[in-house]
Amino acid sequence: MKPWSQVALLAKREFLERARSKPFLITMSLLTVAILAIGPVISMLSSGESEATKIGLAGEELPGIEQELYEQAVLFDMEIEVDRFSTRAEAETALTDGQVAVVLVDRTEIVFHTSGSSQVTGLIHNAVDTTLKTNALTELGLSDDEIALVVEPVPVEVTTLEEQNAQEEAKRGAAFVGAIFLYISIIMFGQFVAMGTVEEKQNRVVEVILSRVRPWQVLVGKVLGIGLLGLMQLIVFAGAAYVSAQFADLTDIDVAAIGLPVIASLLFWFILGYTFYAFLYAAVGSTVSRQEDLQGALMLPIALILPGYLLAIFAAEDPDALLPTVASLLPPWAPFVMPVRIAAGSAQPWEVVVAVVGTVLGAIALVWIGSRVYSGALLRTGGKTSLREAWKAAVE
Amino acid sequence: MLELVDLNKRFGDVVALAGAAFVVERGRILGFLGPNGAGKTTAMRVVFGLVRPDAGSVLWNGGPVGPAERLRFGYMPEERGLYPKMKVHDQLVHFSRLSGLSKTEANESVDHWLDVLGLAGRGDAKLDDLSHGNQQRAQLAAALAPNPELLILDEPFAGLDPIGVESLAATLRELASEGVTIVFSSHQLDLVEDVCQDVAIINEGRVVLSGRLDDIKNRSTKRRLTIDVDGGAWIPDSPGVEVVDGPGPAHCVVESDAPVADLLAAANAAGAVNRFVFEPPRLTDLFREAVGS
Repeated sequence: MKPWSQVALLAKREFLERARSKPFLITMSLLTVAILAIGPVISMLSSGESEATKIGLAGEELPGIEQELYEQAVLFDMEIEVDRFSTRAEAETALTDGQVAVVLVDRTEIVFHTSGSSQVTGLIHNAVDTTLKTNALTELGLSDDEIALVVEPVPVEVTTLEEQNAQEEAKRGAAFVGAIFLYISIIMFGQFVAMGTVEEKQNRVVEVILSRVRPWQVLVGKVLGIGLLGLMQLIVFAGAAYVSAQFADLTDIDVAAIGLPVIASLLFWFILGYTFYAFLYAAVGSTVSRQEDLQGALMLPIALILPGYLLAIFAAEDPDALLPTVASLLPPWAPFVMPVRIAAGSAQPWEVVVAVVGTVLGAIALVWIGSRVYSGALLRTGGKTSLREAWKAAVE
Repeated sequence: MLELVDLNKRFGDVVALAGAAFVVERGRILGFLGPNGAGKTTAMRVVFGLVRPDAGSVLWNGGPVGPAERLRFGYMPEERGLYPKMKVHDQLVHFSRLSGLSKTEANESVDHWLDVLGLAGRGDAKLDDLSHGNQQRAQLAAALAPNPELLILDEPFAGLDPIGVESLAATLRELASEGVTIVFSSHQLDLVEDVCQDVAIINEGRVVLSGRLDDIKNRSTKRRLTIDVDGGAWIPDSPGVEVVDGPGPAHCVVESDAPVADLLAAANAAGAVNRFVFEPPRLTDLFREAVGS
């Protein structure tokens, strides 16, 4: 029997037993339903509201103002609706009730409910100004073309020194979302790995297992089985989120802008990061023999994951800064930070190689350490074994 | 053939094994005896690579024991444990497959052993839902289902009812007759005497007595004397007589060259003799002598 066929058997058991367990199925279904519900709920909440800014007119009438407001709205890239009120009091009531956002009284006063908007003020001011000028010039007997020459805004071209790169934004955003996913997955499935390790010690089934296979096979099988389950769950959630987004009209996420290489790199780093931390959780789980003692021991991996997540935020802001650059090379943080730097285009090829090799070696070292701790700690079932004790027992 | 050669193991200041050694030949049943803490469990764990000895080795059919050899061994550890939430049949198949059986072989073997051990029909139950005795049988099935060539059982009779004890003893005898080598530990010496052909007695990490039970008994300089005299327990009042516990009449251990005729005459003088047996020592007598208490 090949060692890897045994690993496959161990992984299969982890996957099936967990996938079949009621708590898992219930949590999974509830979360999937919740994700599916978010889209329709958002679309329901937002359907009643119109995006248009409602402008009320009251007091002295200014001929041509309505049309001018609509024309200005085009220039301001805004959507508006105009309502006319017979008295100022009526308009103010409408303003208080939220039926309109702003009221133009006579031609001289702009009234908001609580706070003003400079964009809306500008729009109305321009409209009043243009209307007054147009009316005055018409009275002077100028033709429409002549009037247009005076009141039409002079076209001004707006340019930027550096072109804003929408693609880069999308890539960086995707990498950052990847870091969040990694963070959540590690917290959730790392916990599963650690709990599974402790469970076998608590049930004292380890001795039956270890009389057949070696500790590293147990750890690798556990991490693979639970990892596959985690991946499957992610795919289900992502699918549900996609369906949900269709309902909410939130489909302006530009997958094409992110690009296949970035998605591939994200997936690669996700798997590498998960594997690294799963082995850390397995090693940590090996040091305790009761579930009650597990929480305390899990402080160590969390103390590494949290900075990784924060460094990813930092890297998304400034990928070339010293701190993210150094962190992206070190095994515990590379899976969080490096994909962000790769997406931002700031990582040198050699840096990527160093980070990958370092993380792979780190994961192998953790399997080795974890196996030792596992076999050393398993035969002691009284409470918590310190890492040092377990190590000593294994070396003995 | 299983050989334990000069095993030494220390845990900090505690000496668990101090040159422990014994041999079991193919198809024989060895009772592995010793007081609590004598090193029985540690020695068994060494066979399965769960404890690395400081010195000494384990040989199977004359060769070293590695992972491949261990797959042909079945083990029922002292620390009982299976997956509590997993169906009995499923986990037995899992363990059998880990030992190298194919899916079909594993299923057939598990069905067979569940049947033999009286668990037929309980295969779909979770381990947690079985009674204590049945969990014990399931544990035994985990050791037996991979069809091992060597079976090492740590206290297999503990927790079984008399019928369970009987059927396990019969099962072990049958396996041995098919060529399976069996080592088991137990504190129930009468039971060991009935079931096994060989014994190894370990004390403070050293095997102090080992070999074929018949040979050991015959070699012993002690004899057991059982006397039942009318009118109460009569005990010979002569030097070299050690009174031991036993049911009913008086039991004592005497030297093999004790003056049997004189003792019988003395018993006759005390009352009507219903029973007077002079026979090889029992295992308990040998055990007591070997561990010196």
